Amino acid sequence: MFKQQPTRRQLLIDSANGLGGIALASILQQQGLLASEKKPLRPNIDSSQPFGSRESHFPARAKNVLMIFCSGACSQLDTFDYKPELINRHGQPLPGAEDLVTFQGSQGNLTKSPWEFKPRGESGKMVSELVPMLGELADDMCFIHSLTGKTNTHGPGENFMSTGYTLDGFPSMGAWTTWALGTENQDLPAYVAIPDPRGTPQSSVNNWGPGFLPAAYQGTDFNATKPLRNLDRPDGINAASDRQTREFLQKLNRRHLQQFPGDSELSARIASYELAARMQLSVPEVSDLTTESKSTLKMYGADDTENPLKASFAKNCILARRLVEEGVRFVQLFNGAYQTGGEGVSNWDGHKALEKQYAKHGPVLDQPVAALLKDLKQRGLLKETLVVWCTEFGRMPTFQAGASGRDHNPKGFTAWLAGAGVKAPFTYGATDEFGYKAVENVATVYDFHATILHLLGLDHERLSYYHNGIERRLTDVHGHVIEDIIA
Amino acid sequence: MRNEQDQIGMSVMAGRRLHLEKVGVNRILIQKINLVVAMLLTFASVARCEDVDFQRDVLPILQEHCIDCHGPDEAESQLRLDSELSALRGGDSGERLIVPGKSSLSYLIERITTEDSDARMPPDESPLSEKQVQILRSWVDDTTRWKPVETKLASQKIDHWSLQPLVRPEVPDVGVTNPIDAFIATKLTENKLKNSKRASKRSLIRRLYLVMHGLPPTPEQVDSYLSNQHPDAWEALVDDVLKQPQYGERWATHWLDLVRFGETHGFETNRERPHAWRYRDWVINSFNSDKPYDKFIIQQIAGDAVGEEIGTGFLVAGPYDLVKGQDPAFRLIQRQDELADMINTTGTAFLGLTLGCARCHNHKFDPITQTDYYSLQAVFAGVDHADRSLPIPVEQKRKLVEVDKQIFSLEQKLAQFIPEKSPPGTRPAVTATSNVELFDPVDAKYIRFTISKTSSSQPCLDELEIFANGRNVALASLGGKASSSSNLPGYEIHKLEHLNDGKYGNSHSWISNESGTGWVQIEIDGIQIIDRIEWARDRDGRYSDRLATEYKIAVSLDESTWQVIASSKDRLPYKSGKQTKPTYQFDGVSPEIAKRGRAWLDDLNTLQARRSKLAEAPKVYAGTFHQPGPTHRLYRGEPSAPREEVVPAAIKALTDLALPANAPERDRRLAVAHWIANRDNSLTARVMVNRLWQHHFGTGLVDTPSDFGANGTLPTHPGLLDWLAAEFIDSGWSVKHIQKLILTSNTWQQESRPRSEAMAVDAASRLLWRFPGRRLEAEGIRDSILTVTGQIDLEMGGVGFSAFEIDAENVRHYFPKTDFGPADWRRMIYMTKVRQERDAVFGVFDCPDCSQVVPGRSRSTTPLQALNLLNSRFVLQQADFFVKRLESESKTTEEKIVRAYKLCFSRPPEKDEIETAIEFLEQSDWQQFARAMLNANEFVFIP
Repeated sequence: MFKQQPTRRQLLIDSANGLGGIALASILQQQGLLASEKKPLRPNIDSSQPFGSRESHFPARAKNVLMIFCSGACSQLDTFDYKPELINRHGQPLPGAEDLVTFQGSQGNLTKSPWEFKPRGESGKMVSELVPMLGELADDMCFIHSLTGKTNTHGPGENFMSTGYTLDGFPSMGAWTTWALGTENQDLPAYVAIPDPRGTPQSSVNNWGPGFLPAAYQGTDFNATKPLRNLDRPDGINAASDRQTREFLQKLNRRHLQQFPGDSELSARIASYELAARMQLSVPEVSDLTTESKSTLKMYGADDTENPLKASFAKNCILARRLVEEGVRFVQLFNGAYQTGGEGVSNWDGHKALEKQYAKHGPVLDQPVAALLKDLKQRGLLKETLVVWCTEFGRMPTFQAGASGRDHNPKGFTAWLAGAGVKAPFTYGATDEFGYKAVENVATVYDFHATILHLLGLDHERLSYYHNGIERRLTDVHGHVIEDIIA
Repeated sequence: MRNEQDQIGMSVMAGRRLHLEKVGVNRILIQKINLVVAMLLTFASVARCEDVDFQRDVLPILQEHCIDCHGPDEAESQLRLDSELSALRGGDSGERLIVPGKSSLSYLIERITTEDSDARMPPDESPLSEKQVQILRSWVDDTTRWKPVETKLASQKIDHWSLQPLVRPEVPDVGVTNPIDAFIATKLTENKLKNSKRASKRSLIRRLYLVMHGLPPTPEQVDSYLSNQHPDAWEALVDDVLKQPQYGERWATHWLDLVRFGETHGFETNRERPHAWRYRDWVINSFNSDKPYDKFIIQQIAGDAVGEEIGTGFLVAGPYDLVKGQDPAFRLIQRQDELADMINTTGTAFLGLTLGCARCHNHKFDPITQTDYYSLQAVFAGVDHADRSLPIPVEQKRKLVEVDKQIFSLEQKLAQFIPEKSPPGTRPAVTATSNVELFDPVDAKYIRFTISKTSSSQPCLDELEIFANGRNVALASLGGKASSSSNLPGYEIHKLEHLNDGKYGNSHSWISNESGTGWVQIEIDGIQIIDRIEWARDRDGRYSDRLATEYKIAVSLDESTWQVIASSKDRLPYKSGKQTKPTYQFDGVSPEIAKRGRAWLDDLNTLQARRSKLAEAPKVYAGTFHQPGPTHRLYRGEPSAPREEVVPAAIKALTDLALPANAPERDRRLAVAHWIANRDNSLTARVMVNRLWQHHFGTGLVDTPSDFGANGTLPTHPGLLDWLAAEFIDSGWSVKHIQKLILTSNTWQQESRPRSEAMAVDAASRLLWRFPGRRLEAEGIRDSILTVTGQIDLEMGGVGFSAFEIDAENVRHYFPKTDFGPADWRRMIYMTKVRQERDAVFGVFDCPDCSQVVPGRSRSTTPLQALNLLNSRFVLQQADFFVKRLESESKTTEEKIVRAYKLCFSRPPEKDEIETAIEFLEQSDWQQFARAMLNANEFVFIP
């Protein structure tokens, strides 16, 4: 079904068969070199079933991924990275920070979180009062406190977390995953991005873009309130008439195909209309939350009339669970958006008034995501699903000079994983005494990506796509699987 | 793992040999092996030194401590230390391992002596002994021993096919007239394949229009071609199609994909670039006028040097992050990324080379060093993302002069209303952006502008314009000769010649070398009657320092007797900040006079508003230029790890541009442009004819169109590629010439129907035993729909239309439009290209998001595409228009069906098709019929 540039493997097969005169003249020269590198492993895509479920490189620990992305850079220091020394040295300067200039400028003093940290679960993991219900699930989580990024700017930062590149135009992790593995449920999109009720994240659709992979592998974006575009039969066309039109269309197409026997592109297009018809039934079904019980709605906070934003995000969380349940391979759930307020107002970008803004964002995130995790667990879905909580980078332990909020900080931040294949409760890596820089088991976003692919049974060094002369990978030329966190 | 890889390696080797023998190019291989063997054998005798002997003293140290990892078996970081030649060549990192004669600068010595135990070589061992280090130092420091090694390294030949000089091959003599057919036939015969018969005339004309215009032919065009029985009918049709302006619109799409052209900045703000469209139009016009490709290249890299300002839109067509943080380290990385985008795109688009690979280390496959990469960075280091002002068009300029005259006359009339303290006849104060001097016509040969005071520092003028008969006769191009009292030395952007080069702005200006004073003089061609002078400090409006506040202008016929014609004396005093305007007072005069005065003032205000509009130069997003400081090679591409300074240059193994380190910015780009756009550049023509081929047949002769390096693939028909490239150059780089050759070949005119026996041998049709059919791109589908429904607006050029409602926050948000009107029914190339976002209906048909270079679109088939074409408001609205059209152009049901088939498929329906349609219509309606037709495979496929 896909025409793309030929893979190196195809070329080799072609030339071994003596066909077409295609060859890599200098490959002998490169043998010594290439032998030491890992060969690309391309997914074997059946052209009639581009989303057909495919074998992983090695046995997978996780079948699917639910990525919860807090847009705007959620502060590690006010959520999961407990630093007693930051509390002790509250109000004092960060040593060595006199001349330190971060994204918005110079630093004020070290500032403890406005929220108290408390021990949670049996593990006693210290989690802040900003997210108490998530804190209760600390025993199910595997924290990485030592993530480091490559940029201190939101757009590039979100790109980096979602695509492995700070630049625009590279395939998202979900696109890589579905290109490699297809999906379990052919009647639903393989990869769904659920934008926040307030709008899209800062890097918008690049977070779920296909980059240079075939367009089929881009995330399909819809949420509980914004349905999938052009899915519904248009107004004024009744179901019978709609069906007749499709039948007529397929008659035209089948007759046309007779003149081009064996043309896979033409037959793929015929198949795509049949798939579209099935999707028209299954997408509304999966998005219909009326079948959820009252207690479920309550557990997520979807019935919270006093906090409609929370209720709305909670519905997205329920949708996420339903998609996972139905076998969607990759679900990306966003919390925070730029549209409706920008800096800190509708996302986690707390530069100037962190306490006031986070006091609103905390409750929106806390109960719904905690419920989502519990729900997945009680339905047994955590056994096969890897839950990833992340954000584009962290924030400073200081407040900005002359402001009551924290500036961007890619030098040490937190993400957590839960579910299939990861140790829990577990904590990996650490930042320094103030939570500023990663100092112990320093991990890169590349390592993070390599690990997620590994849990999906994919070798991040072999999952590559030839584009513009380069074997492109999610992890570029970097990344090491963080073995320590794998169960 | 190891075993598996070895096996793959072996089978590759076997396959490769087999193939190489088959096509008879093992010459290259043998040469290469010989070279390697010769290298290894001769090293011992290459260079000996009296003190230190390589074999006796050095090699044992290297063998014991280094060669396990940096030898023939491993070659980590592509570094081998088993010979002096490979040591001198160095490894991946681009660091200079051996600097002959300077051990202190040599990376080898640095790495074995560093205090940092993590970085010290050999790893996990105790450091080399003092004595060992001393031997290595002496070895490096002995300049005489390295001389022959350096010579040898320099003389190493590059044997990659695409870097060999282009030689026009013989056309195989197989009894066909079109050389393309001869090359194709030869290869088919070798593979026991036959080409297909000629496609039907209907298929051919449809294919021709879809491929060359991206639009289906009208039924009338089809009929006209069918009825033309002349033997040259096809050629005449091809000529006609190449002449129509829709051709340029179609082929510009391919180029704009390739150069990642977008009309927003991308990244998080994704703000608009409202002046970017001029580059899009420029590309369309370039294709339509069949601009020679060498000129097309030069104008895109250095158009500002050759009078094609808009061309450099190419340099800055890529994404640009508007959000710049305060952290200097991250800002440096952002700038590095911007420059990388320019370098990569230039390498990919014109040369088919992956230059970007050498940003962090030497290229792994091609002869591109890290130094080359940073030398190229020095070429582009003065390019900034920004709009640039274009010269004001002649007509606009003429109107401006008219308005100025009226303003001048009104100001004189109004002078009586200025209170006593200002002398009568006072003109407005000088401004940094525009000053007009009007005077009685006077004979002049020499015109001197003398400055006696400035707002600050040495005076600056960006252009001095002297008008005779409405023409600026100061221009150097019209014979104006500039001289001056002095010139500020050391700045390429500030030179005397900028005074009369027709270019505005600080970057094309003159500055004197005297604080607060100076003069410039223009000697015009012959004696002419002049009546107006215009001058400014910076017409781009960025700078207002260095403004001449006190000055006089004098003319002379002999350069000795001078007559002052204008000065600052009758101007209001300059106050920094903003322009001083005279205040007019209408008290104390009779009511009639006051009334008349007020009316004049109203007129003046209106005229001044009009003037400021007219004085606005049109803009284009084509970048601005500054003279850059030194460029350094960056270790591992890290801005925090600068190494030695590099000179602006291209790829050292291929050319020497001979530019000094401080070469003027524009000269750098011009030098690279001329190196690329040259018949001696072995890549340029090959890469372009391959792209042309690709967009005709769906796949290039080289199917890695942007990688002609060693990691790319070989051409399926090397002879044909070279023949086309040679023909391209010899035709004066005419794109249309090559296209006509292709279109008139039998190869292109074959049927596209698959034949099972040929499919079994060559399913991808790479050998072209048939014409490979394929789905239209998004643009082709949208434009085809609008064409058959009769709604298409073929107006060319200008500001585009938007597919989105835009939420104008700091960070722009784009919401797909849901209502469409005639403004949306232009061709899709005029749809404003918003980065990241794709059109809500057609974007899913593999539209690139213009963030990265796209040499060829992927072609996927998805249910979302089906849903969009079936259910979108856009398509249903067009279906209704289609029905209206059928109703207005035909009467009976059968006539309507026939008309619909002819419009959509370029053919009448067969009898059974009419019956099927009638049967469907009996239970449904015309809108549904139209909806189905617009979704049909036959409608969206190139036959």
